[in-house]
Parts: sequence; C-alpha cells; structure tokens
Amino acid sequence: MTTARVPAAVRRPRLVHRLLAGVAPRAAEIGRLRQENAALLAQVRTRADELDLATRMLAARAQTMTSVIDAVTEQSIIGTDRDGVIRVWNPGAERMLGLPRPEVVRKRSIVEFHLAEELEAEAAACGAAPGLGVLVHAAQEHGSDVRDWTYVAADGQERTVSVAVTPRTDDRGVHAGWNFVGTDMTEVRATERMKDQFVSLISHELRTPLTSILGYLELVLDEDGEPLTDEQRSYLATVERNADRLLRLVGDLLFTAQVDAGRFTLDPRDVDLADVVRAAEESARVTAAGAGVDLVVDLPDGGVVVPGDAVRLGQACDNLVSNAVKFTPSGGRVTLSLRSGWATADGAVSAEPRPGAAPVAQLAVSDTGMGIPTGEQGELFTRFFRSSTARRHAVPGVGLGLAITKAITTAHGGTLGLTSAEGRGTTFTLTLPRTVA
Amino acid sequence: MDEAVSVLVPPVPAPSAPPLRVLVADDEEDIRALVGLAVTRAGCAVTGSVADGNAALALARADTPDLAVLDVSMPGATGLEVCEALRADPSTAGVRILLLSAGASFEDVARGLAAGADAYLAKPFGVAGLVHQVRALTARLPA
Repeated sequence: MTTARVPAAVRRPRLVHRLLAGVAPRAAEIGRLRQENAALLAQVRTRADELDLATRMLAARAQTMTSVIDAVTEQSIIGTDRDGVIRVWNPGAERMLGLPRPEVVRKRSIVEFHLAEELEAEAAACGAAPGLGVLVHAAQEHGSDVRDWTYVAADGQERTVSVAVTPRTDDRGVHAGWNFVGTDMTEVRATERMKDQFVSLISHELRTPLTSILGYLELVLDEDGEPLTDEQRSYLATVERNADRLLRLVGDLLFTAQVDAGRFTLDPRDVDLADVVRAAEESARVTAAGAGVDLVVDLPDGGVVVPGDAVRLGQACDNLVSNAVKFTPSGGRVTLSLRSGWATADGAVSAEPRPGAAPVAQLAVSDTGMGIPTGEQGELFTRFFRSSTARRHAVPGVGLGLAITKAITTAHGGTLGLTSAEGRGTTFTLTLPRTVA
Repeated sequence: MDEAVSVLVPPVPAPSAPPLRVLVADDEEDIRALVGLAVTRAGCAVTGSVADGNAALALARADTPDLAVLDVSMPGATGLEVCEALRADPSTAGVRILLLSAGASFEDVARGLAAGADAYLAKPFGVAGLVHQVRALTARLPA
C-alpha cells in the first residue's frame, strides 16, 4: 500500500528540495535586506533625532538672538535688505523713532528715517548716490562706518544718533543687506556744544577785563611823570606777571576748545626749528635760573627747517621746556637737543638717509626731574590730566600744556613720545616731517 | 605786550595841522578810556566815544570821522555790522576802520577784514601797539 505512494513521496522531497534550494538564498537576501532595513531605520531615527536636536538648537539660538535684540532698548538695531527695506526693528528702534515693528518691517525704508537735507548734503559732498548709497558707501568701502546722523522720529522730532553701519551676509555668505546700530547722542552732543560755548564765552569775557588790567598796568609802568619806587615797581611787576599767566590760561582754554571743535587752523610756512628752540630757551632762562635748573641747548650746525606754523610750534616747544623746568628740582638739568634724521615706518630714526625713510626733525627735551609713573603715561596727553607726581610735589598747572602740545604736533603730521623713569627724569621727543632743501 | 606792528610808524603830524578825528566805540568804559588815551598819544582827537553799535553808526553818519575804532562785540549792532554799514554808505565808505576783538583766531581776523576793516587788533592789546596802529592807519590818509 505504501509502495503506491512512494513515487509521490519521493517526488515531494525533491520538490521541497528544489523549492527550498530556491528559497534559501532569497531568505538570506531577505534577512540581509531586513538587516539593512533595520540599519537604515536606525540611521533615519538617529538622523531624525539629530535633526530634531539641531532644529531645537537653531530655534533656541534664534530665540537667544531675538531676545538679545529685543532686550536692547537703549540702542536702535535696524536691519535692512540690500535695497534698504527694513527687516529687523528692535524695541530700541521703536522707542527712538516712535513706530511699532509691524508698521515698519517690510513696509518702510531706512532712508525715510533720515533727515533728507542731511542725506542730500552728504550725497553732494561724497559723490555717492543719493538715498541708501550715502548711508552705506563708507561701510561698503571700509567694512564698517561709525558717524553721527540725524534720525527723524515719527512725531517729526530730530535726534542726533551715532550710527554704526555694517554689511550683513546670508548663510551662503552672499551680501544680504545692512545693519544700522544707533546710539542716541542728542543730549551728549548738546552738552558738548554747551561746554564749548561756555569755554568760549568765559575766555572772551575774561579777555576784556584782562585788556584793562594789562593796558592800565602798562600805562603806570611806562609813565614818564612821577617815577615809581622800586618796591611799587616790583609789586606791579608781580601783578603783570600774574595777569599774563591768567591770559595764557585763557588762551590755552580757548585753544583746546577750538581743537575739540575741529576749528583749529594752521598757518604753514617754512620754520627753522633751531630758532624756535632758541626762543624757547630764552623765555625759560629766567625761570630756570631762579629754580636752580641748568638749561642746556644742543643745536646742529645750520638750521632744521620744517613746514609749520611758527607761533604754534613755538607754543609746543615752550610748553615742553617750561614743563621740564617745572618738574626738575634745584641742581637738575634740562637739555634741549635738536637733530635732523630719517624715520622709517616703524618710527626708528637714523642720522643717515635709508631707503623708504622719510626726512624728519627731532626735538628731545630731557630733564632730570621727578619722572612720570609708567601707569600714568598713557593718560598724560588728556586734557586736565595731572600726574600723581605733579600733585604730590604741588607743581602748579592745570593740565592743558601737554594736551595742546600733542594737538599741535598731530596737526603738523608729527608724533610726540616720551620715556620716563620715576625719580630719574623724563624725555619728550617731538618728531616732525622735515623740508628737504 | 606790544603787538609787534611791522608797519613803519610815521611821525606825529605837525601841530599846525588839525588833529585827525577818531570815533571810539566799545561797550566797556575802561577800554574806551584806554583807547581814547592811545588815540590822543597818537596825535589824534577823540570826537566821539560811544558804547553801542547803533550809536556809533549814527554818530559816524552825522559827523564823519577819519578813523573809527570799533569793538566787535557790542550791543545794538556788532562792530562787524557797523563796519559793513559804513562801507556800504558812500558818505562813510572812506572812513578808516580798526576793529578790536576778544576773538583772536584766524577766522575772527578773516571775518573782520572781510567786513571791510583796515586793521584788526586782538584783545588784550598793548597801549603801545594801539598807538602804533592808530598812527599807521591815520598816516595813510590824505592830509
């Protein structure tokens, strides 16, 4: 009975075999595919997680950026596209210009918030295209630009704003627009103007009584009639000396106000610095002798000619010399040495011409005085600054001389340097471009 | 104190000739007196001494002086305005004008000369300098 089924039974395993033989590699493939699938899935999940994290990080970063910009209420931060249309408008801008963000973003141009006359005047002055071009041309050229502009708020009020302009790029580094970060300087500038006007007024008002004091003194001292006693003459000479001192102070005050306001002009001619040094030595000679300070002048043969304003250079030189004398105790020495040389770009000066070196005149005023503490040397040229040594030794002065000397030097295209050691002395070195015959 | 006037100073006119007439305008009485003294020392006569610009102008028109010494900052009209008005009027256009001012910058001097002044003296001026300046200005006049 069973034999009858044999063939089938025999056939079946063959079929199974065959089928199995066919299925086995597929199963392996499926297994592999499953594995691959799982791996891919895992990879996708990881990527999704990463993406999620990145998205959240980006969102957090954007949130931080927005919150930082939104937290700025004292400065206006305005971002525009390349055409000047406003895209970013922070609360500082809202406050300064009086318009809420929805009324501005994508609707208004930065140009609309600037004083039109100022933009026109600037366009005429710099040759840039009127409108946005005027605002960004300097930033375009130098990468950034900070200057005062007049913003006009929604209510028509004008504000003087110090605006920093910088170009902005998108994520691919392509130029996308401009950033304008502004600080309201209206009050600061008004205060500065008032200060200048005050200094100017005081100077003028002081000059008038000084004219009378000095004029009538001159009459008394030069009067041919009743001769004065020596005592009277000496008292009046003291009055005159102090009136002169007051007059110099008034002049210095007015001069620094002019420097600050940029209204300081030079009358340039060829000036022989040797004459300037000789004159400074002469005017300091009496004071130096009285203070027991030895005044030494070291001049080169022939002159050292610089293009400059003789009066102002004389003032600079006088200041250095009178300072040196003032800060040197009795028995000390002040040396004025003038030389011509050649300066390289790094500031080194040599006696002989070198390639690339420019002709310069160098005046060094050295003293054996009390010196200036290292920590204070940077502040020394600041108006009204007085060193601790000056205050400690009660050296008279108000702290204008060096500020003026520095301003004069800078206006002549020169440099003013110093080396000093406390207790041993100070050397001021004034270097000016020299005229070559 | 001398303002170092680099102009050759001519001798004082002979006593026989009538002294040249000078108008002085400054809002400070002390300065007016000082200027008056310098004018007299220069051999001229002060024919008017006023404290404001409008008065100076009125006086100059009524009685034309040879020289007007004007302070720049005065009430009424400033010295610069008086200067321009004198120059604009044919009857006073020939008056010599010396401006006095507490401003001493180049701009101040330029503004004074642009207004038509013949000379400019910054305060504080020395008496001797002022005497020189007055002599120099009056000497250029046809006698």
